[in-house]
Parts: sequence; C-alpha cells; structure tokens
Amino acid sequence: MRFLLLLLPLTLFAHINIAVSYPYIGALSKAIGGEHINTVVLAKGNWDPHFVVPRPSLIAKVRNADALIMNGGQLEIGWLPPLLRRASNPKTQVGSKNFLNLSHHIEMIHKPLAVDRAGGDIHPDGNPHFHLNPNNILVLAQTIKEFLISIDSEHQEVYENNYKNFSTIWSEKLQTWETKMRDKKGLKVIQFHNNLAYFNKVYGLTNIATIEPLPGIPPSSRHTMNLIKIIKNEKPCCILHDVYHSTKTADFISRKTGIKVILMPHDIGALESIEDLSSLFDYLTSAIK
Amino acid sequence: MQKILLSSMLLATITYASMDTIPTEKRTFEQSKFMPDISLIMDGSFVNRNIDDDEVVHLELPGIAHGLIGSHEHGGATHSSYNANNGFNLNYAELVLSSSVDPSFTMDSVFHFSPDGVEIEELYFTSTALANGMRIKGGKFNSNFGYLNEQHHHSWSFGDMPLVYEAFLGMHGINETGLQVQWTAPTSTYLMLGAEILQGENEQMFGNSSMGGDEENPLVESETAPSLLIAYAKTSFDIDDTTVLAGISYAQGSSRIDHGDDEESPHLFAGDSSVYGVDLTIKHYFDSYSSLTWQSEYLKRDMDGIQYNLNSEGAVLGQPDLTKEQSGIYSQLVYTHDKNYQMGLRYDSIFQNDVKANNSVVEKPNNLNRYSAMLEYHTSEFARFRLQYNHNKALYNEEGEQESINTLMLQVNISIGAHAAHSF
Repeated sequence: MRFLLLLLPLTLFAHINIAVSYPYIGALSKAIGGEHINTVVLAKGNWDPHFVVPRPSLIAKVRNADALIMNGGQLEIGWLPPLLRRASNPKTQVGSKNFLNLSHHIEMIHKPLAVDRAGGDIHPDGNPHFHLNPNNILVLAQTIKEFLISIDSEHQEVYENNYKNFSTIWSEKLQTWETKMRDKKGLKVIQFHNNLAYFNKVYGLTNIATIEPLPGIPPSSRHTMNLIKIIKNEKPCCILHDVYHSTKTADFISRKTGIKVILMPHDIGALESIEDLSSLFDYLTSAIK
Repeated sequence: MQKILLSSMLLATITYASMDTIPTEKRTFEQSKFMPDISLIMDGSFVNRNIDDDEVVHLELPGIAHGLIGSHEHGGATHSSYNANNGFNLNYAELVLSSSVDPSFTMDSVFHFSPDGVEIEELYFTSTALANGMRIKGGKFNSNFGYLNEQHHHSWSFGDMPLVYEAFLGMHGINETGLQVQWTAPTSTYLMLGAEILQGENEQMFGNSSMGGDEENPLVESETAPSLLIAYAKTSFDIDDTTVLAGISYAQGSSRIDHGDDEESPHLFAGDSSVYGVDLTIKHYFDSYSSLTWQSEYLKRDMDGIQYNLNSEGAVLGQPDLTKEQSGIYSQLVYTHDKNYQMGLRYDSIFQNDVKANNSVVEKPNNLNRYSAMLEYHTSEFARFRLQYNHNKALYNEEGEQESINTLMLQVNISIGAHAAHSF
C-alpha cells in the first residue's frame, strides 16, 4: 500500500512544488509561501553543504518540481548540476523564470582578488554562507516573496501578508540577538572553515585562523602546530566548529591550549535541537558563553 | 538583481575612470564570457607486471577475447589498453568542453588524446527544454547501458575495467554514435526508462560492415546501419542514509568480428548478438565524507552466427555455425574513509563459457577469475593517486595453459579547470 502511494504522481496535489537546495531555504520559502507551496529539501542539514551526494532519488525530486531555489555562490557546484541535467526539467533549468539563485540578491563578502586552486577550493564569487547573518534572512525573505509572486501572481496578497508577518517577528528577534551578542563584540575566534564569516561580521567577532590550512584542504600537522602558537599568542575565546567535520584536530588543539571548542550549527537540522530558523539563531547567539 | 548589476557597473565605471584601458565589459565584440567550461584530465601509471610486454599481448580469454592487455597493431594503427606496458604509461589527456547552446540544448565534448592519436570520445547535444521528464541526446556518447558503461575511465574506482565488460565490449564499452531517449517517471521513487539506437560498431561484439573476399564480392554482406538497439530501466530509493540503485539493460545488434588478418588461424564471425545486464549499487553514508559502496554487475551475452575459418590467402576453410553463451560478474566494495583516503576490493569472474560449433560443444574454460585491491590517496578533489594490485587467473597462453598474472600499478589522475560535479 505504501509503495502504491509512493508511485502516485505528485502533480495530483495542487500546490506549487518547490525544490530547494538547503533546509534554511525550505523554511524561509514555507514561511512566505504558506499553504500554497510544497517545499522539497535536497540536502540534509547536518551534512557539509559543499558535499551532497547526488542520489538518484533527488533526480526524481527535481524532475517533479515546479520551481527551484538555490543558495548559489558556487556552494552547490559539486552536486546540483548533474541533478539538473538528469532531471531535464525545463522549469528548473538555470535561467528559467522558475529558477532562483539567492546569491544574486545578496552582497557577498570575501570575494577573492585572485582565483587559483593553489589557494584551495575557493569560491570565486565570495563567501557563500551568507544566510548566517540574520539580517540577510530578511533580504532573502523579500527575494523569495518577489519570486513567488512572479511565478504565482494569483496569491500575491497572501505572500505579501506572510512576508509582512515574518519580517515583523524577525525584526523583533534581530533586536534580541543583537542585545545578546553585544558583549561579544571584539572577540577573536578560530573556525574549521570560515562558514561563519557573515555571522562574525555582523556581531563584530574576528576570525583569526581556520583549522583547515586552505579552504577544502584537510588539516595538516604543520598548520596545526602553527595554530597552537597563534592561539597562545592571540588568546582567541574559542574554536567555533561546524557539525560536519571531525572535531579530532580541534580537540587536540584544545588539549594543548585549553581553548574551548563550541559546536556551531549552520542550518536547520545540523543539531537535533535546531528545528527552525529562529532556533538556529537562538542557538548561535547563545553558544559563546 | 538589477540594483546589484547597476551598482557594480557604476563601481566598475568609477574604478576604471582613471585608467586608459576600456574595461572588458565594454569592449564591443568581446566574447570571452561565452567561453565553454573547460577541463583537462591527465591519466598515467607506473606498472610492474610479472609477465613481460611481448608475452602479455598474446594472452587470451579462450573463446571470448584476445589481447586484453598490452599494445597491438591492427589495420596499421596501434591499439593500447590502459596501463599497457611495464614501467611508465601515459594513458591519456582528456579535454572536456561543455556549455549551453541556446535555451533548448547543451553540448558536451570529450577529446581523448593518447600516444596513439586523438579520438572524439564523446560529442553530443542534450535537450534541456522538453517537459514531462523527457530528455534526448544525440551524437557520440557512452551508452547508459548498465552502471559503469556511462562513466569515464577516470571516475572508476579501479584503474582497469571489470573483466566482464572489457571481455564482452572492449575497453571503451558501448561508446557509439546515435540517439538516446530517456524518460524519468513522475513518481517520488526514481524510475528511469531509456532507449538508444546506435550505429553498432563495437570492436568486440557488434558490427555491420562487409568482410572478407574482395570489394565486389565480399564473403559477408554488410548489414543495414544503425544496427544496435539498447533499452534499460533504472530505479533507486533511499533507506535512511543508504541508497539503492538497480537497473536492467538489454542490447541487441548485428555482429561482425574481423580477425581475417591474424597470423594464426585467421577467421571472421558474422551473426546476431545480445547482451543482458543487471546492476546493483548500494551505498551507505556514515557522514559527509565517509561511505561504503557495494557495486556489482552481471553481464550475459548470446552470440549466434557463422564463423568463417580462413587460410592465409583469405580462402574459406570451413564455416561452422557458432553459438556462444557467456556470462560473468564483477563485484566491488569500496570504503571511503575521508576526503583523503579510499580503499577497495574487487572480484571479477566469467563463469559461463558455452561455445558450440555446428551444435557440438567446444570445450572452453569457464572459471576465469581476477582479484583486485586498491588504496587511493587524494590531495584534493582534483588529484588522485592510486595503488592497485591485480591477481589475474583469467588469461591463457597460446598453448592453452592458464597464466597467473600479478600486476602492481601506481596510477595518477589529475584534473585542472572547470569543477567536474559528480554523478551518483
């Protein structure tokens, strides 16, 4: 019986089916689209967003989508293109009016002046982890609202209202988070990969080093030894560690220097307690004690 | 979007205002922004084999294939398998160019540069604008038959092809010119059906040209091309962090095998052939970087036709009806430890080798096995170094004695340029 249900064409349901690359985009789209859309999230929130396995089941999801929203900034470069090609869905092709690349609507930071793989696996358009600045969430919400209206003008009013409600609530939360983070300004931090660049920037934290020697290049002992020296000299408050890399090197550094290792979720589902967008930022802004 | 564009244009104007050069964006006929994605892949190896190169080319899979390893002359050209020689081998440089053509198509090309020459390995257009899960591909491409066939050599987990593929279909697999149609079903479970009509010129199995005799009076008449038809169905589902992908495939075409120029017992074969394939891949993910993959394929081929045994002048000595029913599998287990290390084991076997001439059984060995192990180190996604060991008990020498071939191989695979996204 369950198998029969799986075989039912998805088009039987009258919502707009939107495939999104990451859980945060799904939550944001749902907040604006409400009951008029279905979101299908392709990547898992507790995995490295750069490395998503393009499982064939995802081809079926893209094939059945009416629209696609992605993060962009080359975050999906290693996994989304083959899915789009295989799914061969004209609605989800790059350039289609039902295709939204969020990175085009955000001012990206850390755009490299020179692009060379000798510098690791760098993102030529800048750091793509922009959703971790909670102010950007409002910009993204507006972008998604306009996108939904452009593909489904019939429900314009609903989307406008949902957006208004969302932005009111979110603006209040921004105040709370701002207050919570006020005394953290100026703290020096270490990360594994600089995926909190936008979070750090908005709350005045300074990332002084990363555990990976270069973007995408795994830790080396020489770099780790050097890092221990930096930590002893500069006394950063903590290592802000993502949930998907092993904390082995961070724990080693912690034993040598006494520095705290703090797990920082990057998306909904990264930790079990992160169930929605607010809890993500509630957690992030409470994590540094 | 427009705002960003405007402001960046404004910024560009300000930045360049003090310079005398015209910014690239403003050059009237400048086209570099339309440059296709380009990447170049190098593959080479160091091989240490316990049998020397002159000897290894004469080994065969009895009743199935000759010269699986090494370099040999054929029709004036040299053909080399990958990792053909003891010592250093430069297998190939692969140049990949791809881009959108217009809103309806993309085009992809793969050029294979090897010491033997340049080959268009793939050159095809793919539709992007057809609705309802339809996709059409035309040109020269790797058939989607089975699991491994569509992948290029550098995406395989081992440095050589599974025995059953190489024996039945040759080292390029089914790589042909033709048309492919695929349809993905509108179901939440992945289901894809595909069909291909191909020219039908495979070195080991399929062919349609005339053979033997002289030009006006060939011994075997040509067959109308295209003469190879392929169909397959694939499905996949996930159970938590485990993905199962299964497929069945079928290929049917006319056969021409031309060994008329061979020094020893020259012969021709003409008939009809089919290949049946079943593939199963199960992949479990431990986290973003670590996984265990079990990949297996079963291939069976039926060949039915006439063998023309020739003398050295090309005259027919005999023409028995020949049927072959042969089948085998490969099964491999690959563990990916992290972004740096990968290791794997592979078992190859051809276990059915039923050959009949004029309905009487021709005895052929039917336990042709090979065992392989590999350890891979990646400095990044763009560079792989692989140490592989093969213990090959499948090949026989010209006296009909089974050989035991041990090969140690260090393979290097490096790519530069556009990021090649990985298919499943």
